[in-house]
Amino acid sequence: MSVLLSVLAGSLLAPGPEVQRPTGAPPPASAEPATETEAPADGPAETPGEEAPPSEAGPESVAAEGPEQPAPADPEPVAPVESAPPEPEPAAEPEPTAPATPGDTERFTVAAGEGGPPYYTEADQAQLRQRHEIAEPASDRGGDRVSPVRWRCLIADPTCGVNFEVNATAAYAYRGRQGNVSGNGEDPRWSSGRAQYDFWMNLPVMVETRGRNKFTRMTLGPKGGVIFSDSGSTWGNLGMAMRYWFGRGRWAPTLEFTSALSYKIGERTAREATGEAAKWRMSRGPVGFTADVGFGLGGFGAIVVGGQYDSPLAREDVPEQFRVSAGGAFFVGFRGNILWGGPAAAAILTHGLTQRTVEAP
Amino acid sequence: MTALLLATVFSPLLAASLVAQPSASEDAPATDADAEEQPVTYGPFFEAEPASDVEFISQPRPDQTPVLSLGKGAFCFVEDSYCKASLLLSASLGAGIRAPASDEGPDIPYAQFTFRGGFTIRPVMFRRRPWHPWGIGLVSSWSRGTGSVTVRGDALDQEIESTDRTTVFRVGGINQLWLSKKKHAMHLDFTIGGARSDVLTSGVKLWGSHAELAMSWGGWGGVFFNGDFLDRDTRVVMGFRGHGIAAGPILAMALAGLAMGGAL
Repeated sequence: MSVLLSVLAGSLLAPGPEVQRPTGAPPPASAEPATETEAPADGPAETPGEEAPPSEAGPESVAAEGPEQPAPADPEPVAPVESAPPEPEPAAEPEPTAPATPGDTERFTVAAGEGGPPYYTEADQAQLRQRHEIAEPASDRGGDRVSPVRWRCLIADPTCGVNFEVNATAAYAYRGRQGNVSGNGEDPRWSSGRAQYDFWMNLPVMVETRGRNKFTRMTLGPKGGVIFSDSGSTWGNLGMAMRYWFGRGRWAPTLEFTSALSYKIGERTAREATGEAAKWRMSRGPVGFTADVGFGLGGFGAIVVGGQYDSPLAREDVPEQFRVSAGGAFFVGFRGNILWGGPAAAAILTHGLTQRTVEAP
Repeated sequence: MTALLLATVFSPLLAASLVAQPSASEDAPATDADAEEQPVTYGPFFEAEPASDVEFISQPRPDQTPVLSLGKGAFCFVEDSYCKASLLLSASLGAGIRAPASDEGPDIPYAQFTFRGGFTIRPVMFRRRPWHPWGIGLVSSWSRGTGSVTVRGDALDQEIESTDRTTVFRVGGINQLWLSKKKHAMHLDFTIGGARSDVLTSGVKLWGSHAELAMSWGGWGGVFFNGDFLDRDTRVVMGFRGHGIAAGPILAMALAGLAMGGAL
C-alpha cells in the first residue's frame, strides 16, 4: 500500500514537461518563478499525493526539486544567450501581427537600423529614381518664392488665392459734356481730376501649380466703389475687375482690366428756377459705364488708362429742368492698394485739389 | 493551503476577464445609438473641401476657424461658412429706377447709399451638426437716395414738384442659404420686411414693404437687388455691398478729400 502510494506520489511529483518562460530576469529570480509557477500547476495534483504520504513525498519532493536545481542552473549559461534573441523579437513581433478586424490597416515596422525614421536617405531616393527612370522633382517652391506674403493677402500676390483689397486711384481726367440740347453748339471740354476708391474681391480663376505650390495666374471678381471729380460730381460704380500676372514674384508685372456700371449720385448745382445757390445735392443720372486698363507691378500699383460715359436723361416726359445731358471723360492716372499709403494720399490730394481749383463750365 | 491561497489570488483575475466581455458587447449598441443621433449628411452642400497635395504658400490648407471670430466660430464679426452667429455691418451703393404711379410722373433714375446692420444665426449648427447651409437673422438699414420728381396735370396745367433727397429706414428678416463649406463661401440671402420713407413729393413718411435678393462672398461683400414698395412710389435698385471693415477706409478717404476740398 505504501509502495503503491509512493509510486503514485512519485508519478505525480515527477517533473512535467519544461515550460518555457521569459528568461530575461537573472537566474535566481527566474528559478523562483519557475519553482512558484510549477508549484501551483502541480499543486492540485500534489495535494492529494502530499496529504497521504507526507513523509514519502518529502524526500520525493526534495528529489524532484533536486534535479530542478541544476535545471535552473543549466539555463544560467543559456540565459545570456537567450537574452540576445529576445531583443530582435520585440522588433519582429509586430511583423506577424494580423489585423485585429478586417477594417484595420496592416502596419509593418521595418527592423530598426541606425538613427530614427525615415529609414532611407537622399542616396536611397536617388537610387530609386535612377532605377525607375524618374526625373528629379522641380523645386517645391517654384524656384523663386520661399516665404509667404506679408499683410495676410490684403495686398494681391500670386501666392494668394482669394484676396480682398481696397484701391485708390488718382488721375488726370479730360471731361466733356454734350452741350445744351436746344442747339447752341457748345460742347464744353475741360481738364479736371479724378479720385476713385474701389473695393475688389479677387477670386482665382486661373492657377499654376509648380511642385507642391499653387500660384495664381489670373483673378476675376466683383468690385464696387465711388468716383469723385470736380464740381462735387459723385458717382458710384459696380462692375468686375480682372488681374493677370505675368510671373510668380511679388513684383511680377500685371495687366488689370476693370469695367463697371457708373451712376451719378450727386453734384454741386444751383437751382435757377428757384434761385437757390449752388450746393451739393443728390442728383439723378442714368446708368453709364466706365472701363480702364492698368499695367502694374505686383499688387502694389498700376498705371491706368480709361474712360467713362454718362448716359443722357432727355426723355420727353421728363421736364426740361431735370434733364441730364450726355457726358464723359478720359483719364490717365495711378491706382494702388491703400495699405502702403501712397495711392491713398495721392487720391485724397487729387480730390481736394480738384474740388478747390476746377470748376465745370 | 498554498493552493487555496493561490486560487484566492488568481480568482479575481479570472472574474475580471469574464466581466470584461459584456462591456465589449455594450460598445457596439452605443456606437449605433451615436450614429442614429447624427443624421447622415449628403449632397453637394455638405461636401467637405477635397484633400489636396498642393496649396498656396500664403494661404495654406485653410483652417475652418473663421477670421475675426470668438470661440472658433461661435460668434463672428465677419460672417463666414462655419459661423454659428454673426454680426452684419456693411455699407452699399446702388442705382436703379424710381417708378411712381403712372399719373404721378415719369420714371427717373434713382441712386442711394445705405448703411446696414444686423445679426444672423445658424440654428441647426448650435446642437445637431457642425455645418448646415441655413441661416436666419434680423437686419436694419438706413439709406439716403436721390430725390423724386412728380409731374401732375396735363400740358396746359402742369404741376411739377421735386425733392432733393429721399431717406429710407428699413427693418426685415433675412434668410440665408450657404452654398459651400469653403472659407468666404458664396451664399444667397433673401430679406423681406418693411420700409419707412418719404413718398414722392408729399413730404409724408409712410410704411411700405421691402424685399431683397443678394449674393455674397462670406461676410466681405456681395451684390444685391432690392426693392422698396410704397404707396404709388416704387424703387428698384441694384448695387454692391462691402463689409464695414472695407467700407470704413473708403468713407474716411472720401471725407478727407471733401474736407481738403473745402466741401465740409
